[in-house]
Amino acid sequence: MHPSIRRALRRLRALTHRDTLEQELDDELRLHVALEAAELERVHNLSPDDARRLALVAFGGIERYKEAHRDARGVRWLDELQQDIRYAARALGRSPAFTASAIAILALGIGACTAVFSVVDAVVISHLPYPHDDRLIQIYERNSPTNQWPLSVADFQAIEQWQRSFTSVGLLRQTLAPVSSGGEPQRMPVGYATSGFFRTLGVTPVVGRGLGSTDDAPGAQPVAVVSHRFAVDHLGGDTVAVGRSVDVDGVAYTVVGVLDQRYTNLAGRYGEVWADARLAPPERRGPFGMVVVARLNDGITLDDAARDLERVSRREFVVWQATFQDHDAMLVPVSLRRVVLGEAPKTIILFSAAVVLVMLIAIANVAGLMLVRAAGRWREVSLRAVLGATRARIARLLVTESILVSLAGAVAGIALGIIGVRVMKVVGPQVARLEESHVHVHAMLFAVALALVAGLMIGAYPVLHLARGGAAGGGGVLGGERSVGGTRRAHALRAAFVVAEFALALPLLAAAALLLNSFVRLQRVSPGFDPAHVLTMSVALPSGRYATDTAMSTYWTRALNNVRAVPGVAAAGLADQLPLSGSNLDENNFDLLDRPVPAGTAQPVTPWTVITADYFTALGVRLLEGRMFTPTDTGGQHPVVIVSRSWAHKYFPDGTAVGRKMVAGGCTSCPPLTIIGVVSDVMYTSLGDVPEGAYEPLTEGWGRTLALVVRTTGDPAAAIPGVSAALRSVEPSVTLADATPMAERFSAAIADPRHAASLVAGFALVAALLAAIGIFGTLSYTVSMRRREIGVRLALGAKRQAVTGMIVRRGMAHAALGAALGLVAALIATRWLGSKLFEVSPADPLTFGAVIVGLLIVALAASWAPARRAAAIDPAEAIRAESSG
Amino acid sequence: MTDRADLLQGTLDLLILKTLVLGPLHGWAISKRLRQLSDDVLEVGQGSLYPALYRLEDRGWIRAEWGTSPEAGGRRAKFYSLTADGRKQFAAERSQWRLFSTAVERVLKAT
Repeated sequence: MHPSIRRALRRLRALTHRDTLEQELDDELRLHVALEAAELERVHNLSPDDARRLALVAFGGIERYKEAHRDARGVRWLDELQQDIRYAARALGRSPAFTASAIAILALGIGACTAVFSVVDAVVISHLPYPHDDRLIQIYERNSPTNQWPLSVADFQAIEQWQRSFTSVGLLRQTLAPVSSGGEPQRMPVGYATSGFFRTLGVTPVVGRGLGSTDDAPGAQPVAVVSHRFAVDHLGGDTVAVGRSVDVDGVAYTVVGVLDQRYTNLAGRYGEVWADARLAPPERRGPFGMVVVARLNDGITLDDAARDLERVSRREFVVWQATFQDHDAMLVPVSLRRVVLGEAPKTIILFSAAVVLVMLIAIANVAGLMLVRAAGRWREVSLRAVLGATRARIARLLVTESILVSLAGAVAGIALGIIGVRVMKVVGPQVARLEESHVHVHAMLFAVALALVAGLMIGAYPVLHLARGGAAGGGGVLGGERSVGGTRRAHALRAAFVVAEFALALPLLAAAALLLNSFVRLQRVSPGFDPAHVLTMSVALPSGRYATDTAMSTYWTRALNNVRAVPGVAAAGLADQLPLSGSNLDENNFDLLDRPVPAGTAQPVTPWTVITADYFTALGVRLLEGRMFTPTDTGGQHPVVIVSRSWAHKYFPDGTAVGRKMVAGGCTSCPPLTIIGVVSDVMYTSLGDVPEGAYEPLTEGWGRTLALVVRTTGDPAAAIPGVSAALRSVEPSVTLADATPMAERFSAAIADPRHAASLVAGFALVAALLAAIGIFGTLSYTVSMRRREIGVRLALGAKRQAVTGMIVRRGMAHAALGAALGLVAALIATRWLGSKLFEVSPADPLTFGAVIVGLLIVALAASWAPARRAAAIDPAEAIRAESSG
Repeated sequence: MTDRADLLQGTLDLLILKTLVLGPLHGWAISKRLRQLSDDVLEVGQGSLYPALYRLEDRGWIRAEWGTSPEAGGRRAKFYSLTADGRKQFAAERSQWRLFSTAVERVLKAT
């Protein structure tokens, strides 16, 4: 056996068989003493007792040799570690105030970090629940770096036919549809998927089978896979669901499989029922809106796929050239992870940065406390040094103490983190996959690692000080507390901690203030209409009896008349989409006859809403120029369009838009639309967006699902039963959903910025609080150390205000220096916030001014109490106490 | 009592190895043998003996086995004996010691 291996094994045995070895050593030494005593007894004729005593004296104390022996055995450190921990725990127990505040501060920091880490772990680090999710892509169509949209059936089929990069391709059309399993139909998310969609993702149902390629064949029986929740809520559970029939939008599907509980969404699209998609052969390039996913072949990179798709695009372009002329539109692959996680990483980075700052401030704070404590107990430490404890031993003791504190902080922090994650799920911004985050083992390990790092950082200074010989001489013992804790270096260091705390807190406060400022502005933005007294609702007709356009228009006309007759209803209109719809908005491309875009370039797009004439009245949108729609505007050979003020201003800045003509949807053979009016702006996507838009009258192609907008005279929520009854009186099986007062849609539209701002503000408040505690602690210590000096000053006639001023100035100097450093950092860091801010510059002077003033006021308040205490010192007592101590 | 000399640093290992050349001994017997062989001049501090034994064992020069000791009335005792490495080590240390002591002697004799 190699000597080093043998030695390692011996050490291992020394650790694992500690008691046995200890016993053996004891036996050996006892035997030695017994034999020595027997010898003495024999040779020198001593009594057995004397002999034994002499033998023991000669030996010099068994325990001491055991110790030396243990040292050689290499287990001494373990015994000492136990001793250190016991000692540290005792020492910490003797100063409960210090221990409690240090643990509380660290728990705050570690808790915040753990909560955010858990979210990061779920949202960013974890994988999508599909095998080899890094090989999955979604394909979009893109005609400029900023404009991309989902695909059409024509695109999907072109890709399927010509691609060379993918093992499989799948299509999903997601929609809200009335679903019934025997009872009243309910509107819920439904995905129409090809069998390739399941194959591409690699998702197989937990019960039954998935959609297979035979299900795509013409004439096959319609089949569907349902979510776990749907099976439990509507079909009596997972196991009995297969074979049941589910009616989706008037078509009966046989359930063939149930998905695992974790698949509430597929490729980021939510769905309760996944029905097999029957793809009719396309007649044109559009309509778009299909999710197309693909799995990359082995060895194919995203760039390879992009080149392959470009080739497919050119080939496809030729096929539909007659009706689709945007030859810049290219099929592009985007990693599915990026699609599903979306904007999440940026929000997450913001929170991560915030908690890292909080954690650093917490560490600086506790380190400051530790310094004060180290100064206070220098006498004790020096005494240990004099009594023979080695420097390394004392250093280890101090580090053990700070690690003990921070581990306790970690335990409390993990508890706080668990609460924090719950809180974030409730008040946090909508981040993809947030609901999947929990404080897992990863996060707990992270918290413990964080605590160890924090413990080392906190314990570092007292130890370094020791290494420089602080405890070596008797100076520490003789000079009392003042000599070491009061050194210039320690003072400077404590000041540096305070400066650092303020420097770290300022960027956090600045970010919070900017986000809040931006949120307040966003809240003040007019959506372009009066949201009070407006009720919105989604209405869907069953497909069976409403197959024709006539049947549908008859229902809608009669239903509108009934709704208008409901007491408390002032006006009612229909539209195919509502304001503040986010990214689900329908847009259309158009080309102005006066100024057509050059051939081959992309046409401009704008939100495109199809409405009945009363829609504007019901929503409270005003006519600014021209006229509203009338019942005679029925499309045909003279189609008309109304545009928003911003649209008119953008495309006809110098003259009126009324009377101009355009073609829409790339339909060159259709008669051009004439602009007949300009109305006030409405925010269709989100509040921060450009309020452009165009409206067409709803005359044909009514569709089975429309949004109803009702203006009420009283509380809009109170009108829901009456309006619902009116809609059902015409057709009892109509599906009603999302009956919401407009004001609620409005506040939901600003929920995300509100949540982001309030979370960052929470972190910032914690940071400011910690910085205040830091300055308070340091100044209190300074005052207690300078009692005598202050006493002398007062005795010599210094005014009490002067003393107060001296202490406050000291605190403010640190705070101001910290704030100045923090300002520089903040100005660089907040630039990154730019895209999250609305109408606020990342360097907004007013916001920054307010933050600096606020932080200095906090510093002033924190300095005030120690300063008052300094001024209240009784000179005689202070001087006497110091000279006798 | 006779005058006793402190052991020179590093010579204890050599002396322990020497006492074990003739056969296995337990700790107390090693210290007694040392005393006898040096005519009571060399007294091994027991406090250094046991750590030294452990150290030598750790280096693989001696090995320890539990046995019974007749002189202790059949009590359990730990017997140390030389390993092959230990014998080599003893030879090496002995020649080094001789070299060293002759050199010191020579220096002291010089006028």
